[in-house]
Amino acid sequence: MIFEQLSGNLLQGLVLGSVYGMATMGLSLIFGVLQVVNVGHGAFIMVGAFTSLMMFQAAGVPPVLAIPVAFAIGMALGMLFYFGALKPLVSPSGSGIKSLDMRAVGMGAGILVALLVVMRFLSAAFKLHFAITLFVAIIFLYGFLLYIYGGRRQDKAPELATLLVTFSIGVILEESVKQLFTSEARGFNWAIGKLDLGVTVLPYTKLIASFGSLTIAVLLYLWFRKTRAGMAMRSVVEDDVGARVCGVNVDWQYALSFSLGIGLTVTSGVLLTMFIPVGINPYMGGPYTLKSFVIAVLGGLASPYGAFFGGLVFGLVENGSYTLFAQFQGLEPFAMTRFFSFVMLLVILLLRPTGLLKVK
Amino acid sequence: MLKVEKLESGYGPMQVLWGPNLQAEAGAITSILGPNGAGKSTLLWTILGGVTARRGKVVFEGNDVTELPAHRKVDLGITLVPEGKHLFKEMTVYENLVMGAYRKEALAEKEKTLDLIYSLFPILAERRNQKSGTLSGGQQQMVTIGRSLMTKPKLIMMDEPSQGLAPKLIMEIFETVERLKEEVGLTILLVEQNAAASLDAADYVYVMHEGTIKAEGTPEVIKASDEIREAYLGI
Repeated sequence: MIFEQLSGNLLQGLVLGSVYGMATMGLSLIFGVLQVVNVGHGAFIMVGAFTSLMMFQAAGVPPVLAIPVAFAIGMALGMLFYFGALKPLVSPSGSGIKSLDMRAVGMGAGILVALLVVMRFLSAAFKLHFAITLFVAIIFLYGFLLYIYGGRRQDKAPELATLLVTFSIGVILEESVKQLFTSEARGFNWAIGKLDLGVTVLPYTKLIASFGSLTIAVLLYLWFRKTRAGMAMRSVVEDDVGARVCGVNVDWQYALSFSLGIGLTVTSGVLLTMFIPVGINPYMGGPYTLKSFVIAVLGGLASPYGAFFGGLVFGLVENGSYTLFAQFQGLEPFAMTRFFSFVMLLVILLLRPTGLLKVK
Repeated sequence: MLKVEKLESGYGPMQVLWGPNLQAEAGAITSILGPNGAGKSTLLWTILGGVTARRGKVVFEGNDVTELPAHRKVDLGITLVPEGKHLFKEMTVYENLVMGAYRKEALAEKEKTLDLIYSLFPILAERRNQKSGTLSGGQQQMVTIGRSLMTKPKLIMMDEPSQGLAPKLIMEIFETVERLKEEVGLTILLVEQNAAASLDAADYVYVMHEGTIKAEGTPEVIKASDEIREAYLGI
């Protein structure tokens, strides 16, 4: 009995964990190359979930076929946000590019966040969604003008500036999607049967999502190891000075890795809807951002493959602890699972800040 | 082959280069000497395009290339052996060398250049499948030089290639530099703090201090001037 339950948990945990892992690879890739923590991570997952939902509802396209579309949307969004917002802060070289003056960035970012916080309170009180979108557009224009006419700098921006930028990008996405689709939670039903394994029952959708995650992880691994383009990106991760003297266009690799990371993240949103095809709303990304942080730390933060294995561990822990806590009267297992996940994060950070796994 | 005219650059509000003029003749070793903080590294990085030139010109083979970014300079045949090696430590020796052949023209000649590097540094052929981070300091420097050769450069700039090496290895590195000139016919721009060894290897010498060129001449002229030696070189 207990053995059956455990093996059932193991299977469920691994299937879930592979999707979690895939959902974190983009975060780790971006951190590995740019040393930028993408606080807006969950918002990109949300964009993927909406892509999946809309394609299914509008044309009955099964989520599997939404994967390439989501990846393309992610790559495009990545390029847009990289060149529109992030580049002046992370681009490692002057090389004739006019970049932002740091004082202007600091001031702009400060004003931006202060106003965003105020606007968010106002919008909750008075439903001023349009004002936020308009405001964000103005900020973007401001940033763009600064970018064109600003001074030059050579050193990297402080982490706080990039955190603020990715946070803002997340809010921009959430509010834009809310404008388009309202904040109502949606869902769809892609029923294609279940696989009864005796110890547990797995819907085919989950199995496909898990298999898809694994495939993408393997493809990414091969791309990094075997192709010239993948090697170039790896070289930038390892030593951007070395990459530069080999003739790698480091600035372009930054743009490419950011947009690849976002592409992977948006794709993972599609895979997650195969797991949980309900509760799709503009603000669904928050919990995924937090989970991905835990997973990324588990996997050593800067390695996409580490993230994948971190995801497997996290899936097992989450599934196992849910079952465990459900045994006790008076405990809310869902809340306890989250509680437990973050206790785990703290313990790992204390004992092994470099991550559980050493995978490069 | 390379001509630098009144080049100015720096980092943020700090200006480092204050208009040095210099030339590197084809097929010769041109050496830049000077104390720490003289702006030697900044000069090399500004020539490569990793640091933006604010004023002045970099002319390569008769063309003004001042504004080109680093990867375009590598395309033209300029490369840099950076100070502190900057190897890809998790990659094998072979992978590091292949990364040097990143641009397409270099990739076409990959095998030929690899043979040359393995003949210059036989130890690298033995260790080709070892992670570069596990090599000794001297071997790592060989990989760094090899990786630069893989880009098929016409001009190779070296930033302190002997730094942190044992005296015997320093000799070997300087021998390699001379072989690169004699056997491969490369043009070399060498930045060194090791003035004595540098003066022996070089065909022409510039003395740099506080972002400008303070003196220049053949090694014999520099050696003969007590004034220059005492003021800038400490030998």
